[in-house]
Amino acid sequence: MNSKIRTTHGGSLPRPAALIEMNRARSEGQAVDDRALSECLAASVADVVRQQKDAGIDIPDDGEFGKATTQAYDYGAWQSYIFARVSGFSPAAEVPKERLRRAGSFGVALARFRDRRDWQTFGEFYRDPAGGAFGTGKLGETRGGGIGGGRRPVCSGPIRYTGHAALKADIDNLKAALAAAGVAQGFMCSVAPGSCARTEDAFYKDDEEYVYAVAEALREEYKAIVEAGLTLQLDDPGLPDSWDMANPEPPLEAYRKFARLRIEAMNHALRGLPQERIRYHICWGSWHGPHVTDIPLRDIVDLVLEVNAGEYSIEAGNVRHQHEWKVWQEVKLPEGKVLVPGVVSHATNVVEDPELVAERIVRFAGVVGRDNVIAGTDCGLGGRVHPQIAWAKLRALAEGARLASRQLWRSA
Amino acid sequence: MSRILTTHVGSLPRPPELVELYRASPPSPDLPRRLREAIAVILRTQRETGLDLVNDGEFGKATRRSVDYGAWATYVYERLSGYEPKEPRGGSILGKSKDRSDFAAFYAEDESVRETVRARPRAMVCTGPVKYVGQAAVARDLENLSAGRGDIPPGDIFVTAVSPASIEALQPNEHYATQDDYAWAVANAMREEYATIARAGFTLQIDDPGLVVLWDWWFARERSFEEYLKFAESRVEMLNHALADVPEKQLRYHLCWGSWHGPHSTDVRLRDVARLLLKIRAGAYSLEAGNVRHEHDWEVWQEVQLSPGKRLIPGVVSHSTNVVEHPELVAERIERYAKVVGRDNVIAGTDCGLGGRVHAQIAWAKLEALVAGARLASRRLF
Repeated sequence: MNSKIRTTHGGSLPRPAALIEMNRARSEGQAVDDRALSECLAASVADVVRQQKDAGIDIPDDGEFGKATTQAYDYGAWQSYIFARVSGFSPAAEVPKERLRRAGSFGVALARFRDRRDWQTFGEFYRDPAGGAFGTGKLGETRGGGIGGGRRPVCSGPIRYTGHAALKADIDNLKAALAAAGVAQGFMCSVAPGSCARTEDAFYKDDEEYVYAVAEALREEYKAIVEAGLTLQLDDPGLPDSWDMANPEPPLEAYRKFARLRIEAMNHALRGLPQERIRYHICWGSWHGPHVTDIPLRDIVDLVLEVNAGEYSIEAGNVRHQHEWKVWQEVKLPEGKVLVPGVVSHATNVVEDPELVAERIVRFAGVVGRDNVIAGTDCGLGGRVHPQIAWAKLRALAEGARLASRQLWRSA
Repeated sequence: MSRILTTHVGSLPRPPELVELYRASPPSPDLPRRLREAIAVILRTQRETGLDLVNDGEFGKATRRSVDYGAWATYVYERLSGYEPKEPRGGSILGKSKDRSDFAAFYAEDESVRETVRARPRAMVCTGPVKYVGQAAVARDLENLSAGRGDIPPGDIFVTAVSPASIEALQPNEHYATQDDYAWAVANAMREEYATIARAGFTLQIDDPGLVVLWDWWFARERSFEEYLKFAESRVEMLNHALADVPEKQLRYHLCWGSWHGPHSTDVRLRDVARLLLKIRAGAYSLEAGNVRHEHDWEVWQEVQLSPGKRLIPGVVSHSTNVVEHPELVAERIERYAKVVGRDNVIAGTDCGLGGRVHAQIAWAKLEALVAGARLASRRLF
């Protein structure tokens, strides 16, 4: 057993300017030397792993640097990267509107961002450029993923995994960086099927066929990451935050059926893979909005626990979800599973006091046991707060974990 | 009382028409009438929202932009003589800030905090004797409250006024021989405003971020914490002198660490100044407790005994995030304080004024969350 609280984070870290610049040039159609880009990527990953180690992060990742972003503020790379790694998606403008079916089932149909319930309740705020809902990034730019001029691509053909080369490069880069830094365990993010299959579909028979096709394709990515000895982090904000995309508010039971279908598809994609190598991450969307329509954790926690994962990474460091530590007083965390609560958050520029971080960790340890808590972040910090703030928060996280460890193991 | 009372720190979102009227040059003849109407409305709106201790939203303190972090302090420009707009001889008042130097790239590049800086008007510098000349302005504010208050008792209405330390922090001295001379002059001048507000029967709220932000602005990079503490003690003495005409029960003291959306990495720990704060002759203390730098400050009150008769107004919702606090979190925060200092000694408040610091829709959603959370807490505590 560990005799301390380990630390990790949600995945995305601030990209170096040179990497952003190269990706931007490429997305604008300029010629970018493949070798120069892959060398820049490998060197950046080596740097960022060492930086994480220096900041006190025990389980680092590649900062999601292999998931291309073309600007410093980017809330969407965690999912947009996949459209370059699977076949079957095309720009929305190329598919006749009447063929498109909104994603969803059981009466839950996912709306566009602007039709979200939170957006509609706080329309003046979201439309106000000084409101700050998306930091410096403009909404369209943060979601396009380089295809479709700002709108997410839609499904128009059979979905197959085609990203083998990019995935292999990511895995090689991270493994080399871990070895060079002398770090035993690293994680790599991959989008969950339900969070990928949120865009409209013009090809599959129904929602179930669509979600399972995505799951089957993504299985290749999941398998490769786990087989490389890394921890696979499945990013699934779609599980909780599709609730807000269903407008009007659906009956809870219908939503739970919609969500369960996605979890079953994901578990299907994870078949045979060892639980202890899998971390399941949910959050309620990382934009700087009010989030008043977020579904309570209590309403979906049993579904979350159905995911065949060993670790559950859940927002707990922002003011909408901080109180949900109490959920674990009622719902027992199954034996052998680990919680990764967010103890620092992208939702504020203020840097968490390490004493607050420690207080949050100790609170969770009191409920689920000190050996079952890894200190994490609400969501990836990169692209969501300024790089200096992101790194200060990671250092605060590590310092808070040290304080908490001292309290939690002193009494033993 | 058989429940937790609710209040906020002062600034509320200005109606857009009012911002326009303040911006008009020359001043609009409609302003006095529209201001009075707006204050009557905002008093009612606060009560309808479920807030117990209310104010004029600081509408009498001129703001010319919907984003404005400074009106709580800049309003004295029209109430004190001795100042002129100019570049301070010593350079920017923030030139020595440690937070700004440690996070220089953030402050230079990040849009969310640049907005704060842009919203700041040109620096005023003390170049002559400081005298209080705001008699008409303060009288107008108090009359507007009396006219608009309906059946709200005056004691349930608070009026904010800037502290001497905050004036000295924001407006450099180029007239008095020493900084202490300047600070005493400011304290003596402001004494008149404080006394006038109390005489009208309202609760006076002193806004004093200056006391703690000066650690970062003047001391943190070069001087010791002991030096800072000596300085802070002298400012508390000056403040108490300026408050000599105000009964303790009618005074609440607001401390925050500055409301800009920065990292706040150098904030003075409450633990290190709590005992000093208790020397201020205030009946209630409004303190930040709803943001991630100060949320754990409740622990301080386990060690430092709140003097009998004094109450705490912890911030249980904050301007520091657009996310709207869940009422359950608000209740949890209130209950934590109630457990430490007693349920009768806690009033639920905000970290700082919400107006000008978050979008109006967010500000009101946060106040509603504050009220809903206080109800939940009251049900469990009483």
